[in-house]
Amino acid sequence: MSDILLISILSGAVLSGTPLLYATLSEMLSERTGVINLGLEGIMLIGAVVGFVTTVKTGNHALGIIAAAFAGALFNMIFAFMVITRKANQLASGLALMFCGVGLSALIGAPFIGSRIEGLGAIAIPLLSDIPFLGRVFFNYDILVYLAIPTAVVIWWFLFKTRWGLSLRAVGENPTAAYAAGKNPYLLQYQVLFIAGLLGGIAGAHLSLALAHTWAEWMTAGRGFFAVALVIFAKWHPLRAIAGALLFGGAISLQLQMQAQGVPVSSFLLDMLPYVLSLVVLALWGGARRSAVPGSLGRVFQGTE
Amino acid sequence: MKKTVCLTLKGMVFLTIAALALGAGLPATAQGQEKLKVGIIHIGSINDAGYNQAHSEGVQVMKKNLPNVEVIQAENIPEGADAERVMENMIKQGAKLIIPASFGYLDPALKIAKKYPDVKFVHPGGYKRAPNLGTYWASTPEAFYLAGIAAGRTTKTNKAGYVVALPISFFLANINAFHLGARSVNPNFETRVVFMGTFLDAPKEAIAANALLDMGVDVLGVIVDSPITVVQAAERRGAFSVGYHYLGAQKFAPKGWITGIAFTWGELYTRFAKAVMDGSWKSEAVFGNLASDYLTIAPFGSVVPADAVKLVNSTRQEFLAGKKDVFQGPLKDNRGVERVKAGESFPLQGIGKMDWLVEGVIGQPK
Amino acid sequence: MDKGLGIKGMFRHKWVAAIIRFCGLMGIAMAVFALVLLIFGQNPLRAYADIFKATLGTAYGFSEVLVKMIPLVLTALAVAIPSRIWLINVGGEGQLFIGALFATWGALQFNGLSIWLLLPLISFLGFLGGGLWALISGFLRIKGWASETISTLLMNYVAILLVSFFVFGPWKDPESANYPQSAPFPDAAILPTFFGSRVHLGAVLAIAGLLLFYFVMSRTRWGLEMRAMGINQEGARRTGIPTYRYILLLMFIGGGMAGLAGMGEVSAIHGQLRPSLSPGLGYTGFLISWITMGSPLGIIAAAFLISIITAGGDILQMTHRIPAAAIHILMSLVLFVVLARSTGKRGKR
Repeated sequence: MSDILLISILSGAVLSGTPLLYATLSEMLSERTGVINLGLEGIMLIGAVVGFVTTVKTGNHALGIIAAAFAGALFNMIFAFMVITRKANQLASGLALMFCGVGLSALIGAPFIGSRIEGLGAIAIPLLSDIPFLGRVFFNYDILVYLAIPTAVVIWWFLFKTRWGLSLRAVGENPTAAYAAGKNPYLLQYQVLFIAGLLGGIAGAHLSLALAHTWAEWMTAGRGFFAVALVIFAKWHPLRAIAGALLFGGAISLQLQMQAQGVPVSSFLLDMLPYVLSLVVLALWGGARRSAVPGSLGRVFQGTE
Repeated sequence: MKKTVCLTLKGMVFLTIAALALGAGLPATAQGQEKLKVGIIHIGSINDAGYNQAHSEGVQVMKKNLPNVEVIQAENIPEGADAERVMENMIKQGAKLIIPASFGYLDPALKIAKKYPDVKFVHPGGYKRAPNLGTYWASTPEAFYLAGIAAGRTTKTNKAGYVVALPISFFLANINAFHLGARSVNPNFETRVVFMGTFLDAPKEAIAANALLDMGVDVLGVIVDSPITVVQAAERRGAFSVGYHYLGAQKFAPKGWITGIAFTWGELYTRFAKAVMDGSWKSEAVFGNLASDYLTIAPFGSVVPADAVKLVNSTRQEFLAGKKDVFQGPLKDNRGVERVKAGESFPLQGIGKMDWLVEGVIGQPK
Repeated sequence: MDKGLGIKGMFRHKWVAAIIRFCGLMGIAMAVFALVLLIFGQNPLRAYADIFKATLGTAYGFSEVLVKMIPLVLTALAVAIPSRIWLINVGGEGQLFIGALFATWGALQFNGLSIWLLLPLISFLGFLGGGLWALISGFLRIKGWASETISTLLMNYVAILLVSFFVFGPWKDPESANYPQSAPFPDAAILPTFFGSRVHLGAVLAIAGLLLFYFVMSRTRWGLEMRAMGINQEGARRTGIPTYRYILLLMFIGGGMAGLAGMGEVSAIHGQLRPSLSPGLGYTGFLISWITMGSPLGIIAAAFLISIITAGGDILQMTHRIPAAAIHILMSLVLFVVLARSTGKRGKR
């Protein structure tokens, strides 16, 4: 019995954690280059609706995911234009982007509520998924789940092992210095925000195509903001983000399991945990001295940017 | 700085003038004269294959039945001030009958009802009335009991899971009834309940459904605004499903469908409208039951064994004849407290106060 | 006509230019939205006409716009006040909820008191709740442990969950069939309204807040000190201005404003505490304060505009079959054009 319980919690963690991971990676890339995007919620919604609508119309999930990714990226370009070229305030622009995403996705999705799609199916990896315990937990998911951790690793590699990643981080620490060193901070930021948009769109697509198999207004229910907290919790590091996403995905799943088992626990108090923990992490590592916060991001927070 | 301030101030003035000019210039959007206008506000989307769609289709049927009735619909209206404003808007557009179609609209509706005593309101599931606000609902536990019988005979693992929005007493009563029905044909039956904390959060419902399925349930029931997600989750993993709210949900689970409990409000709404039009409407608490034409049990899926269907039908007759009560004592709750004594019955009229889950149901009502 | 080089002349020039510029901006936003409407098969002219008629064309519509403005002005103040010393308070939403929480406690606990005692009490409690919540972030800031931008943002979610906890649990109304809402407020705790509309006494609080803000900032010594802090915080500290005290104080007052908004909403609009108390009022207030750079008149104007837009969403829905959420597109377009105009230089005050 407890075996099944464990499997269930872990697989629930993986399922909830996947969109969280993509979203966290998206926000992390933005913030690493010095831009905080509170509009992630909007990007995810655009991804969710475009992915769903495309799949309804074409019957092809791959197309749906790709469309969702590009829709997210293009949508984020609005934000990029605002904060990079027009130098508008990042927080306000992000919130405006979120509102836009909520409205636009509602408009696009309205005729498709109640439509049916074949959900993004689970792909059982042959042989591996037959391993008694591990098989169920690790090898029986949809494609986006399988790609999630490799994506995080790829991003880690790019961030820390390539010159492009170095430039990106340099811009995030101090754009003026980066500029003086011959980089073009604006171009880099645009590139990064494009990729961040792709990831955000994929996160949304997973919600509608793999999890819910439907579209509903504002179906992200705050997951975009959750990701902002997770980025802090992960101290802006992609590999720690994997742990964070699994952990908090697991918390959601654990909570549901505990209910189903009849354990008296308040889901609300449990839900607070990620935010409180992020605050703790920030307090310990976000302060002026031993800061894990990317430099120019910190200046946005201080209000001097 | 002063610029922006002046900008916006002058702009405001300009816009106001422009607005009034435009407003005066362009003709008003469609206004009817001799019809009855009925306004209905929905908490969610009318295409949700669930709660809201059932209400929406109800007014469409009413419109078809009564050609001189006009309908104003508004979707996704949050409770509170927005609901009040939209209802007032509808009244200003001439609506004389308002259907605030969500539990949480009761207090806003009462406020507006006080303000407009000549407009009639009918509220689904309400527990308070006013001289011009009546309530209606169908007592669903009997139907859930019958669904439970079918589930109890169809299940292979003897475990069912219910994904429920909130531990509202009406929902608890439904779950209890379902469980009791299943237990009556299957003494080993177990029901697990998970509460979402909200009426609609599709991804969370999917995770909950999968968690329940992982625990070995093979029947999934659902009480949220839209049954699509849970019913589909069951279908994907080869489990059986019991729907709610809307008959059309069956198409999402062609193989695993057991049955569903649906609301078909059309004829009831037609009666309400007629009563308002001929002046015979009065405020009452309409509380239907199995015999009513607005509570329907969906056709059984092919997985349900024939003898179960027979038993359901005969039990249904017993309910209709008053020979059987759903919550017949002795009943204990799932914490061991005795709730209904032997020889007594928990009255259906009183399920608004039911805040416990019956023994054998695993979940927390509080 | 000789507009002249005199002061009056320049002023007149500026105003004309300013109106034209503003109308141009609004025009762009409205044109883009009209395009969106066209793409989705609607008639934009009729849509706009309906919106304006419903909001500004009737006394009732206008009163509803005012009702929406009240919490927005307060949440905008919640951001504007701390922003004078460059504190970024994104936590209006959470502060609003905690203010409502405290006010609910007072209303239910002291439900025997007369309206003359109860209303001021819950107003005070609302202010206190929001203020204390913001104070936490202020404290984290002066200790150098966390920037208030992020801490207020995170605290928003904790606040909403806290309210849900109470409303689903200890404070659940026993009369409401287990539905998640608190017991209804006693009549003595409900803010009175004007002329049979829904415009409530909270409007007085909002206006008072604005006036006080303006007065203190521009006419008192404290305002002067805060302006000095705004220009150069370190320098100000060295001249003896108690910067830490101001940080804490302004966060407290700002949070208190949002708390008052929460009290207003729960008391006058809902009559009981519910999880659905605020549809993002705190964030909208943040946006208002930001696009007007915290100017009191600007806040009123922007709140007015945004209230028209959001109230217009209902009409779009009812008469044009567009989802009400689509109105967010127009709102965000307005925000985009205004934000894009800023050149990134912080307005010097």
